[in-house]
Amino acid sequence: MLIKIDGCFYEGNSGETLMELAKRNNIDIPHLCYKDGFEGLGRCRLCLVEVIEGKRKKIVSSCVYPIQEGIEVNTTSEKINKMRKDIILLLLFRTPENEYIKNLALEYGVSKIDRYSNKEEENCILCGLCVKACEKLGTHAISLVNRGTTKKVSTPFDDTSKDCIGCGACVEVCPTNAIKLSDENGKRTIWNRTFDLVKCSICGKYYTTEESLKYTLDMLGTDDEEHICEYCKKKSMSSKFKESFKNIY
Amino acid sequence: MSEIGTKRRILICCGTGCLANNSYEVYERLRNGLKGRDDISVQPEIKATGCNGLCEKGPVVKIYPDGISYFKVAPKDVDEIIEKTILRNEVINRLLYFDTNQKKKITNHIDASFYKHQHKIALRNIGEVDPLETDDYIKRDGFKALHKVLLEMTPEEVIDEVEKSGLRGRGGAGFPTGTKWKSCYKFDNFPKYVVCNGDEGDPGAFMDRSIMEGDPNTIIEGMIICGYAISSHKGFLYIRDEYELARKNMQLAIDKARSLGYLGKDILGSGFEFDLEIVRGGGAFVCGESSALMASIEGNVGEPRAKYIRSVEKGLWDQPTVLNNVETWANIPPIILNGANWFKEIGSEKNSGTKVFSLVGKVKNTGLVEIPMGTKLSELVFDIGGGIIKDRPFKAVQTGGPSGGCIPKKHMDIPLDFDSLSNIGSMMGSGGVIVMDDTTCMVEIARYYMEFLSEESCGKCTTCREGINTMLKILTNITLGKGQLEDIDLLEQLGETIKIASLCALGKTAPNPVMTTLRFFRDEYIEHIVNKRCPAGVCKNLTTYYIDKDVCIGCGICAKKCPVNAITGNNKEPHVIDVGKCTVCGNCFAICPKMAVKVGGASAYAY
Amino acid sequence: MTVDAINIINNYPSEKRYTLAILQDIQREYGFIPRDTMENIAEYLNLPLSDIYSIATFYKSLSLTPKGKYTIKICNGTACHIRGSESIKSELISLLDIKPGETTKDGLFSIEIVNCLGACALAPVILINNKYYGGLNKEKVADIINSFREVATNE
Repeated sequence: MLIKIDGCFYEGNSGETLMELAKRNNIDIPHLCYKDGFEGLGRCRLCLVEVIEGKRKKIVSSCVYPIQEGIEVNTTSEKINKMRKDIILLLLFRTPENEYIKNLALEYGVSKIDRYSNKEEENCILCGLCVKACEKLGTHAISLVNRGTTKKVSTPFDDTSKDCIGCGACVEVCPTNAIKLSDENGKRTIWNRTFDLVKCSICGKYYTTEESLKYTLDMLGTDDEEHICEYCKKKSMSSKFKESFKNIY
Repeated sequence: MSEIGTKRRILICCGTGCLANNSYEVYERLRNGLKGRDDISVQPEIKATGCNGLCEKGPVVKIYPDGISYFKVAPKDVDEIIEKTILRNEVINRLLYFDTNQKKKITNHIDASFYKHQHKIALRNIGEVDPLETDDYIKRDGFKALHKVLLEMTPEEVIDEVEKSGLRGRGGAGFPTGTKWKSCYKFDNFPKYVVCNGDEGDPGAFMDRSIMEGDPNTIIEGMIICGYAISSHKGFLYIRDEYELARKNMQLAIDKARSLGYLGKDILGSGFEFDLEIVRGGGAFVCGESSALMASIEGNVGEPRAKYIRSVEKGLWDQPTVLNNVETWANIPPIILNGANWFKEIGSEKNSGTKVFSLVGKVKNTGLVEIPMGTKLSELVFDIGGGIIKDRPFKAVQTGGPSGGCIPKKHMDIPLDFDSLSNIGSMMGSGGVIVMDDTTCMVEIARYYMEFLSEESCGKCTTCREGINTMLKILTNITLGKGQLEDIDLLEQLGETIKIASLCALGKTAPNPVMTTLRFFRDEYIEHIVNKRCPAGVCKNLTTYYIDKDVCIGCGICAKKCPVNAITGNNKEPHVIDVGKCTVCGNCFAICPKMAVKVGGASAYAY
Repeated sequence: MTVDAINIINNYPSEKRYTLAILQDIQREYGFIPRDTMENIAEYLNLPLSDIYSIATFYKSLSLTPKGKYTIKICNGTACHIRGSESIKSELISLLDIKPGETTKDGLFSIEIVNCLGACALAPVILINNKYYGGLNKEKVADIINSFREVATNE
């Protein structure tokens, strides 16, 4: 189906969200809680755009909005820009010292208001990506807990998690680097738990936890695999490709 | 007067309000006191009914066919009622209702100003039937509409009738019910579900509670009719955790209905199958939002979702679902029985039928009132409500709960309907009407609503979660005397964004109480900020009291009530408050028989 | 986990949609959700513990810490607010020497602020173990607390 975005036409697929379409076509819509590969969450509200459906104009969150035939989209306007700035201001109130949010504020010309800024240290903007990552790639070790302003991400009872495998997927997806992970002396500490790290048999660097490795092997249904880190795996793959191509050309 | 041989009916209200005042004991004493007496020719029928709506004057006992209504009946009054009224047909004057408008005692409650103007459709059976006796319901045309639907009408005809009636959702948004049913009907995707929103969370609203407790069968009948219309075979009633009696009565009514063949397989021999299940809420206001409610039924936290695809297409478990409010369901059987035209003739154009309002706050007669849509607000507050307590000056009403807005004196004649109320920046909401007088601080009311909403926000989206919290901080500052003029600009700026950018109706309507109080009572905000003074005398840091010497009669009651002995004066001479000692507790202000204690200038202690 | 808890859980089919209902029955029985019971529920329903924990912390009717023998719920609905629920709240706080959300040391009373109980015409209202008390003022509240204390001493 044909969709008009900021004056240009684009081809979209039924069932796609506006954000997916935009990403495919390198159209920039600001976002925090969206990540390729995950379904839209609609939590941060930054991706709001204006949609004209027939005679009706409305503001929608592009990460969740399913495209429809014949709609017209404006990704910026005075109204939308004002909204984006206010949303960033609200995030800045919550996490006034977080680098990522501070940079975003700078980019959009949003200034801090000290009187209403959070006086306690906070880096999490409750985008929920870490929970989704743990759900899809990990073991459901963390979840969104409580309600309203006391909402937070934590392990059950804020305790050492029995389920966490230390894979670090949550850290990877976090847009504000709010999750503490430390790798030191062959041990990884995350979510109040310490894991033993495994060394790569090729380069000797620590690259994953024992539990993570076991989890992946369980999923794959094998119990024996060489301990090779991503980097070395890629290197070995590319040299294998080099070999094959050598024989073709 | 009752004739010999005519069966008397004695109805005792056992809704939550009257139960809190020992009405069940009244009921039991009446039953025991009248059992097997040989001085009564015909044994009276004694029933425990649901809420009559005038809870403040309860327990309420109604005696038919005499047409006598007794109020504030205590268990110790029962013997007198039996001796005097039942045996000797005498009226006990002191138990009669005193109508402050008509300035006289009323024998039959239907003649009271509070009841006279009412037109009961949704509340038609409440207070007249024992909710646990399905026979009572049947005797009053109960399940007749269901008969008609299953045996004489097609699903299309049912939807048509509901659509023609103009019924709009009574839960808040006022979406045309028939249109909703029709959309759901069109989706060829099964199973479909029917849901009742019994999560009445608006503070100040209790009409849904009253209907669930007092006439559960009307909801059951309405839902089965919808099931037939859209080809659904399963319905859920989501009932708030705090409404234990409602859940109990609803479950008993469902079980009874099933045993009588109104639920289950082959209802009334029609071949149609339908059943109902109650789901208990968990103490979350946000679960009154339809998508959050469905998430809760599914076993998740009550977080709403964006509704670009409506629930009639993808609702409960992504299946087509019709969700309606308790009061909406209660209107369905009468509409089917009496026809769409009958319903359309009541109310106003585009707002047909009646609405149940819960009139509460600083008004003399508090309780449930069912009146035609379009009735003026002034009529509700003064003619029916009897005006402000102690006849203090009227200030505003809040309609629509935390999602609504305040309506000031200059708009008193506004018709109470969906469109008029939303045009003025408020909304109908569930029908709560909270009356405020000059002792209510509008800034504090806005702060109260933001506090409520900040605790009830599910926390999913930035604008609602952080936005409401920020507005709360700003308003708290203002009520403490720490406000600045820029705060008003910030409130308006953020309010606009929160309205547009929030994910669900809770967030989108959250700024309304703030925006409307700013619109109509801006001076009060400025008074708090610039002059550090609360004109209503509510914000303690910004209040001082003084005694108007032209009004004070020197009775000395205030001095006696003062906990810190800050009031001095001779008998029959004007008294004086020592502001230095005064702790602003408000006792003198509340107790003065002449309202001579007034709110004075800015507090010297404000900062 | 006690036999009671096992029975309560087994009352329900092992389906996600009964999570809240099971938790509420446990709450009613024990006055809170014990940690090990929560783990058992997760196992029974075949759901991650983190999901059950999310639900238990989202819904206000559930508590992770034990409540008092008499749970006092102070209605903070608008009608009650206008008719003085704040002063009822401060009276209870001073009488019992605890804040909302806390339980007295003797385990007798706990205070909660709740949303509109739907008894608006009786404002201000409190609920003590599901019994309503309306039309309150400071004196009446003190009387009510004293009567409960007497009952407790006599038991």
